[in-house]
Amino acid sequence: MTKKKNSSMIQRRLIPTYIFLIIVSFISVFPLYWMISAATNTSTDVSRGRILPGTHFMENFNNLVSQQPLWRALGNSFFYAILTTVVCLLICSIAGYGFEVYHDKWKDKLFSILLLAMMVPQVATMVPLFQMFSKAKLLNTAIGFILPMISTPFMIMMFRQNARAFPIDIIEAARIDGLNEIQIFFRMFIPTMKSTYAAAAVITFMNAWNSYLWPKVIMTDNNSMTMPMLIANLITGYVTDYGMLMCGVLFCSIPTMIVFFVLQKQFAEGITGAVK
Amino acid sequence: MNSKKKGMNLIQKQKAAGWAFLTPATIMIVIMSFYPMVRAFIISLQTGTGANMKFAEPIFSNYKRMFADKVFVKSIGNTFFYLIIQVPIMLILAILLAQLLNNKDLKFKGLFRTCVFLPCATSLVSYALIFRSLFAQEGLINSILIKLHILDTGYNFLGNAASAKAVIIIALIWRWTGYNMVFYLSGLQNIEYSVYEAAKIDGANGWKTFWGITVPLLKPTIIMTFIMSINGTLQLFDESVNLTKGGPANSTITMSHYIYNTCFINVPNFGYASAMAFLIFIMVAILAFINLKVGDTRD
Amino acid sequence: MKKKLLSVLLASAMVLSLAACGGGSDDSSSDGEGASSGDSNKLTVWAWDQTFNIKAMQMAGDMYAEDHEGFELEVIETSSDDCQTKLTTCANAGDYSTMPDIVLMQDNSYQKFLKSYPDAFVDLTDCGINWDDFAALKQSYSMLDDKHYGVPYDNGVCAAFYRTDVLEQAGYTIEDLTDITWSRFIEIGQDVHEKTGKYLLTSESTGGDTIMLMIQSCGANFVNEDGEAYIVGNDVAEKCIDIYTEMIEKDVVKLVNNWDEYIATVTNGEAAGIVNGNWMNATLTGIEDQKGLWQITTLPAVDGVDTATHYANNGGSSWYITANCKNVDLAMDFLTSTFGSSTEFYDAILPETSGIACYLPAGESEVYNEPVEFYGGQAIYSTLVEYSSHIPEFTKTPFHYEAREAVNTAIINITNGTSKEDALQEAQETLEFKMTE
Repeated sequence: MTKKKNSSMIQRRLIPTYIFLIIVSFISVFPLYWMISAATNTSTDVSRGRILPGTHFMENFNNLVSQQPLWRALGNSFFYAILTTVVCLLICSIAGYGFEVYHDKWKDKLFSILLLAMMVPQVATMVPLFQMFSKAKLLNTAIGFILPMISTPFMIMMFRQNARAFPIDIIEAARIDGLNEIQIFFRMFIPTMKSTYAAAAVITFMNAWNSYLWPKVIMTDNNSMTMPMLIANLITGYVTDYGMLMCGVLFCSIPTMIVFFVLQKQFAEGITGAVK
Repeated sequence: MNSKKKGMNLIQKQKAAGWAFLTPATIMIVIMSFYPMVRAFIISLQTGTGANMKFAEPIFSNYKRMFADKVFVKSIGNTFFYLIIQVPIMLILAILLAQLLNNKDLKFKGLFRTCVFLPCATSLVSYALIFRSLFAQEGLINSILIKLHILDTGYNFLGNAASAKAVIIIALIWRWTGYNMVFYLSGLQNIEYSVYEAAKIDGANGWKTFWGITVPLLKPTIIMTFIMSINGTLQLFDESVNLTKGGPANSTITMSHYIYNTCFINVPNFGYASAMAFLIFIMVAILAFINLKVGDTRD
Repeated sequence: MKKKLLSVLLASAMVLSLAACGGGSDDSSSDGEGASSGDSNKLTVWAWDQTFNIKAMQMAGDMYAEDHEGFELEVIETSSDDCQTKLTTCANAGDYSTMPDIVLMQDNSYQKFLKSYPDAFVDLTDCGINWDDFAALKQSYSMLDDKHYGVPYDNGVCAAFYRTDVLEQAGYTIEDLTDITWSRFIEIGQDVHEKTGKYLLTSESTGGDTIMLMIQSCGANFVNEDGEAYIVGNDVAEKCIDIYTEMIEKDVVKLVNNWDEYIATVTNGEAAGIVNGNWMNATLTGIEDQKGLWQITTLPAVDGVDTATHYANNGGSSWYITANCKNVDLAMDFLTSTFGSSTEFYDAILPETSGIACYLPAGESEVYNEPVEFYGGQAIYSTLVEYSSHIPEFTKTPFHYEAREAVNTAIINITNGTSKEDALQEAQETLEFKMTE
């Protein structure tokens, strides 16, 4: 009885929070709604600013599928994004862990230097990178696609910063138990830092999924088209079919949302209390 | 004696493991970033195109050129304007949202979280399209303002310098707040709930716990998002290209957008573009290091 | 189990990254050769519009394959921006290996490629095309030092498109707008705007085309014959800018911020007129409820300029053979016998793509003379081809986009209160600055 009263009191106190969150959510979701509704309207209706859903989704969808290799582009994008995410997470998390857990003056210095790598605009390094990849015969390959993305200072930094909360005692205890350093990383660190991994996975997946400038420079055949390239093809002609475009955009946006929705529980309420 | 020797071995082993852990990432970054950066720096000292690149006379003339370039100087001003206004608002909002969503009594948390995150997962094309149409002269924002009798006729938001800048800032906050919130949420997981309980018992109110506990404990994450946001804003490109095309009259153009134009829209001048890119690099590096020096201490 | 999986993944990641560091020599399975096919009977093409130039290219390929056994054509859809980015990157890296055999390029941007990367394209002067079959202006976009590099394909000839119903409402007919000057256009435009609330002209404020086609209709440009920036002291340029700013002040032109808004003014009926390239046709005909309401006529001419005409060109594109082409003879023969000389080919692609040819003999054929219902039965295709033969030549510049940007910035500054002298001076300086290295 008192418990119930208590919880309803808490809920009442949360009303301003709910109102605030509902407003924020509404603002955040509105463009998504607009996108979905535009995907169901004709191009002329979209251009006229119609925001109510229409009945032309199948028409837009059929146009899209008949003009563009939608399924292949989706498949390619998934393949590249997942590959990038898995490799990137492994390389960067072990580096971030190394930088924090074994930190000394030199490693901190090295880290600061690595950080510099994210600060040069991509346009400047693109030509030298292209030359390099062309010489290495990596153009039009999946490896060529993912290589520049799998070791990012930013992800290393994320793991390094988050590893700061990883208690040294656990490591000490594990060492006494006879685990070696690699085992400690895999058996102790990874399970404990699930929330960080989940967040990092969402971010990396999203970046890989949306990456555009680099792939479009090194991927030059129809078979390696990704979703962002497909979208770019939809807006390049003399006529833009907005209905079809938004239909394509919808297919391009949904996967990231799903990945987020699946992983968000992990990083937001996964392991509270389990760390310490 | 024996055990001591073994112990030293262990420490050495640990040391070796520490370095081994960073090696793959470091090698990759050296090859994929530093080597091209060095090449780009050499290009920044050259003029000409393609096979006809030659070293500039005098050698730093591309760097000198920047300061005579009115459009580039303007783009620096614009970019810093975005940085100063947008980054603090966005990060504070993101922490606030993360804090609200980390409440264990809150219902529909997953739904709210997903909603707040959605903007950065929305494809750039649709987001640019909708922001342009929302803020168009006959757009939704104007019709609401007219209905509320705040305006008489539609205001051309994207056609005026000040309001176009404001639209870009609003768009940036809309798009990236949820993204930053993700880091704070995952960072908050490292703060034990009992810390809050203790604070509550001590009689601290929400505001006090926020500033007294959440912010200090989130410091590593805040540093990280700060550096990232500075970097992101100084390299800002998408919004300037897609929302305003840098207009009207270059009043919203960013440094990266101008560099891109120099490479791919105008007659290509990669030497000059690389020089401008290195200026951005130096700016970000300085700001990031101030950040690390001020905030990144282990206590 | 999970942990095992993870360690396997990690190990493979390490191997992968190490292999990559070693130059990725293990990756022999993939096609590192780039886009151009070594195959002697196959050509690859980059183009960017499924309903338009890609379709035309594919039809050309099918046609050519009928007479040439084993001929294969692969069109790779590459948006026009992507195409520019890729070409620039490849050319600047000095590595053409990823380029296709044939590439479609915007006429406005070709001169800058030719200036920056002269060896990236093949000289087509002697490929067998009778160049006089193309309008002189169209040829000049892809020419340097009397050499031909491109086969003109997509015509950018401009027309004035008007909504006859709106004109009627305001008391005008399409004849009242035919062969007029811009000052008369302004009078009518004001009248139409007062009576109907609609605009006779829409223009993009950033990077817009209108000012370019105005000055080019006089056979002039914002550069002089030596290719130097020529804004200050350029009488024709000043007249054009005067007219344009007057139109902004008098609400004759609706200034929009981007292409979506531009299209929206047409679809929502706000625009009673459009002055632009013929390719607007494709957008207009998509608006089914405006069927029969549009007609085309000549452009207004700039007042007080001796060389002023009623004709201009905006956009358009041509086919080029790249330096990466392994089989130049085949590519040349293919382009010559389709896009370069075949009226049957142009007759075949017109109904499929609505693309208007640059190839002048095509305009005489019956297909081009058929009335178009959308324009109330006007035979717009032959009319447009006829217009295109009248467009005056003007000096091209690799700095097309720079000039356009500088002048549009000046116009915005003038409407915001900067004096004309100062604004033009700034534009002149900006353009001069861009032209130095």
